[in-house]
Amino acid sequence: MSGRRSVGGYVRAVRTSPVTFSLVLAFAVGATIVAVTGQDPFLAYREMFAGAVDGSGLRNTLARSIPIVGMALAVSVAFRAGVINLGGEGQMVVGGLAGTVVAIYTPGPGAVVIPLAMIAGAAAGAAWALLPAYGQTRLRLPILITSLLLNYVGRAITGYLVRFPLADVSVTLATTRQVPETARMPKMPVFGGVSLSIVLVVAVVAGLAIVYSRSVVGYETRMAGYSGRFARYGGVPVERQTIGVMLVAGAIGGAIGTHLIIGESLRFIDGELVLSGLAWTGLLVSLLAANRPVFILLAGLLFSGLQIGGLAMQRNADVSWRLAQVLQALVIIAVASRLTLRRLRRREVEQAEVAEVILEPAHVGEI
Amino acid sequence: MFEQLFDSALADSAIRAMIPILLAALGGMICERAGVFQISLEGMMVAGAFAAVGGSYLVQSSTMGIVFAMAAGVAVSLILAFGAVTRKGDPIVLGIAINLFAFGITGFLLPQIFGVRGVFQDARIDGLARLPIPLLSDIPVIGRVLFTNTITAYLAFLLVPALWVFLFRTPLGLRLRGVGERPGAAQTLGVSPARYKYAAVIASGVLSGLAGAQLALGNVVQFAENMSSGRGWVAVVAVMLGRAHPTGVLGASLLFAFAEALGFRFQGNGLPVQITDALPFVMTLLALVVARKRFARLLDLTTASA
Amino acid sequence: MTNELELRGITKRFPGVVANDAVNLTVRTGEIHAIVGENGAGKTTLMSMLYGLFPPDEGEILIRGERVRLTSALDAIEAGLGMVHQAFKLFPTLTVAENVVFRDEPTRRGFIDRGASVARVRELAERYGLAVDPAAVVERLPVGVLQRVEIIKALYRDARVLILDEPTAVLTPQERDMLFDIIRRLRDSGRTIIFITHKLGEVMAVSDRITVLRNGRSVTELVTSETTPAEITRHMVGRDVDLGKRATAHAAGDVILSVRDMVVLGEHGRPVVHAATFDVRAGEIVGIAGVAGNGQSEMIEAITGLRPVERGEVHLGGADVTRAEVATRRSIGLAYIPEDRHGVGTTHHATVSENLLLGHHREPAVTRRGWFQPEAVRQRSGGMVARFGIKTPSVSAPVATLSGGNLQKLVVARELDYAAPLLIAEQPTRGVDIGAIQFIHDHLLSYRDDGGAVLLVSAELSEILALSTRILVMFEGRIVAELDPATTDEPEIGHFMTGAHLDAASA
Repeated sequence: MSGRRSVGGYVRAVRTSPVTFSLVLAFAVGATIVAVTGQDPFLAYREMFAGAVDGSGLRNTLARSIPIVGMALAVSVAFRAGVINLGGEGQMVVGGLAGTVVAIYTPGPGAVVIPLAMIAGAAAGAAWALLPAYGQTRLRLPILITSLLLNYVGRAITGYLVRFPLADVSVTLATTRQVPETARMPKMPVFGGVSLSIVLVVAVVAGLAIVYSRSVVGYETRMAGYSGRFARYGGVPVERQTIGVMLVAGAIGGAIGTHLIIGESLRFIDGELVLSGLAWTGLLVSLLAANRPVFILLAGLLFSGLQIGGLAMQRNADVSWRLAQVLQALVIIAVASRLTLRRLRRREVEQAEVAEVILEPAHVGEI
Repeated sequence: MFEQLFDSALADSAIRAMIPILLAALGGMICERAGVFQISLEGMMVAGAFAAVGGSYLVQSSTMGIVFAMAAGVAVSLILAFGAVTRKGDPIVLGIAINLFAFGITGFLLPQIFGVRGVFQDARIDGLARLPIPLLSDIPVIGRVLFTNTITAYLAFLLVPALWVFLFRTPLGLRLRGVGERPGAAQTLGVSPARYKYAAVIASGVLSGLAGAQLALGNVVQFAENMSSGRGWVAVVAVMLGRAHPTGVLGASLLFAFAEALGFRFQGNGLPVQITDALPFVMTLLALVVARKRFARLLDLTTASA
Repeated sequence: MTNELELRGITKRFPGVVANDAVNLTVRTGEIHAIVGENGAGKTTLMSMLYGLFPPDEGEILIRGERVRLTSALDAIEAGLGMVHQAFKLFPTLTVAENVVFRDEPTRRGFIDRGASVARVRELAERYGLAVDPAAVVERLPVGVLQRVEIIKALYRDARVLILDEPTAVLTPQERDMLFDIIRRLRDSGRTIIFITHKLGEVMAVSDRITVLRNGRSVTELVTSETTPAEITRHMVGRDVDLGKRATAHAAGDVILSVRDMVVLGEHGRPVVHAATFDVRAGEIVGIAGVAGNGQSEMIEAITGLRPVERGEVHLGGADVTRAEVATRRSIGLAYIPEDRHGVGTTHHATVSENLLLGHHREPAVTRRGWFQPEAVRQRSGGMVARFGIKTPSVSAPVATLSGGNLQKLVVARELDYAAPLLIAEQPTRGVDIGAIQFIHDHLLSYRDDGGAVLLVSAELSEILALSTRILVMFEGRIVAELDPATTDEPEIGHFMTGAHLDAASA
């Protein structure tokens, strides 16, 4: 339903867009912070860039983009429908543990166990997301808060399970046993061995993009995201939709959590999944990409590169990898503050404010 | 067992746990009254904690730590003030991003400045002393719990009635409430909503910074990454539960602090730490369910009903 | 007599439109001056400049002969101008006294002197016959009282000129008469009153002189006693318009909507609709008259499925829809023009086409197994835009660019396009210019003539009288009267709207 632009149009749009400006601004502020702490920002950024794309760096960037894009997709599915799901972390760990358990303890060939584990992880993540969903639709508890609080509860529960019933006592860490070889997510022979899960992620991106632009469900969720009252008025079943999108978001989160274990760390170690703030990075990516699947893919790659590059930067330039997190947050702050190069002159701002008042619907008789 | 559980040590622990939550929540309350949706209390608290430790370490004075903490809180709060009030950006997105920014930058500066990762402890950090109030501190039980406390704690206690008077008995407080309820109406009477919102956000920065100072210099004497551990979010809930009223906020903060203290006590009695960690959050969720009508405005703001 | 207020050559431009074009206005001290014009004529912009929202691009404002620059609300207040806006600027949870003294609070040692506030309010209320309780909390007060609070607010700040914007939009006929008394009393005390309205009956009843605005220009100045409504209308619209009664007798058909003993709960869990019972038949327009806030909105929400029904039943086209979802009711045959075109009827985030699609979006014509047919969607939207004359550059334009009147046309177009057996229209012509009002009225009548059942809720009694086959009056959640438009009139309807019939009965 949107028009197509020429290449020149796209280039112009990118150059003047608030996102570009925000990226530039964020990097500038980041450089300042680094410089202030007495280090060389150019060295830092050089190492960051190299670390993201050189050699094994590229593989790592792609590998890291799987959970970042995945979590961003999870958040965006809900966000688009007007549901603010901050429970990605909880859905990821609960789903991840469930999937891991299935992977570890289910006998059988990989072709059976791996899909089973992913499904189990998705199901568990969806179930965990169902709690805040019901909380809002049945009890009118805002999902924003309940999903967030449940993160802490989910971490506590999985932490307990990992330390006691499911613990691998042969290791000093608080962790489960290792995922057996047959149950590990295979790596593809491209880009130095990226996990097969990347195919899944790309498929989900494509699927969501199509559903959003062409389907009734996509239209209904979009309208609900714009205005719940409008959607409800038009017959969109907003309550059912809230539950539906939370289930999908939780399922994606749980699948990603499972992938992170059976495809990467091979053990569910307490606290490790949330250490790098993947769910939050995913949230930021989703915000930056305005919930659009293809942009999420691109922004996810960017943020993934930032993180991997950040680790390299820490190794080689001795600048803490947290800078990557700072940069990501700054980009979002700049975008949310609607900073652009086209600085709105005072008069324009005035006009906009005034037009708001004039065109304001008269709430006749109300106060 | 009951007496073992509910003794003055528990009360003391609860009060100490309450102070950071209360301070942050009072800041959040001011913002709520001014009509600013403030969910970056968590980030401002962590920034304040970091700055408090830094300041105290540099000069070996907890007072300097408090000053640094307030300054850090204000600095972070200006991001929200500018983004949400001047630029009219979405306060929810800004709040989340600011929280992450604060975690990131404190996590970044920790190794850069102090050369350690994870936790920063040092004998040179001057913690907040517990100052007994003459006479009152001699009262059995209450004396130790309430009247032998840090300066930030006393500030928190005093702020509750002070803010009540401010909100409901002074012209500035009346105008603040008006701005929060109907900014358009305030504007037509010559009260600038932007000015009051800025002031409210900055005030919440000061108070959240102080909360961080209490956390990092009062309850323990160290800085740990992500030290606020969700307390800022609990404070957000406390504001809503307490209906943005000073006594309500006090009650809600005390409730959650009590749950936290109880959790620690259970830990001491052998319950796994994960369960006790979850206790304040479970308590918060229960409070949400019981008092869900008070969250109607949050529900409207954050669901698809704009 | 001096000129209290003078506007000379006031011009204000916005991107794409000249809202005020060299407007001249002369108001004499101690007179009641009416500014009339239809929606979009520039009245709101003019008034906004008078209360300091923004300065004019050209022209000058003179108060008692002196040029003034009004750059803020404070300037306007200091210049002695007091605005009573159409949408009240009051703080719901504060008391009347707090609302009145806001920003000019009497203080004692730094704290608000509540006693002095209350006393001052009481004093002003008594002097001008404006009955209010200073300690009452504003959100619990009825609309008529709120208006008095707004007037006291202006008087508290020593307003010499009171500007009232569409003051009677929310009043019953009886309250309107009380307001006129107050206006006359204020004039007799030496103040100047300006009121903005499109209701000519009121202009004739209470004003001394009239300025007519049309398309941003001041067209003429008239003396009330020397002119007629027809002449005023001609200046307002530029042509002759027939605003007389339009309903023709019509035989009604089957019952389409049936409401039985319906009880609906309000925000606080208490019933706001009590045992409502009525039918709407094919080929008739049932008009619901009532002061806003007497349960009409909740009743309509319950009928449309946006609010649960506590007790009782709703039947649509023979089927029991009491517990049915909105989508089900729509597919059985319900269309709804909501009161709030911005918050409910449309969304400004989407395009014209997307807004026109809602509700239709599951129909086989545009959808196949869950996927859209873009060509069919385009045709549908294009058709609606053409048929209803919605002014927009294209169907892909964001809806935010539409003016208020056009937006309403969009909503009306969409809902009429369903050709649903039942059409509910809530305030269908509020804020819409006269041309569009006629247009919408014509469409509603032909909808009825084609066999549709229409449930009309409106605060404009003239509209109710003009269109309805039958009139039901709601008061405090109950249907208290059924009237025949041919034999009733505004005072009688107003009598029931205010519950006066109950007082009479118990007298």
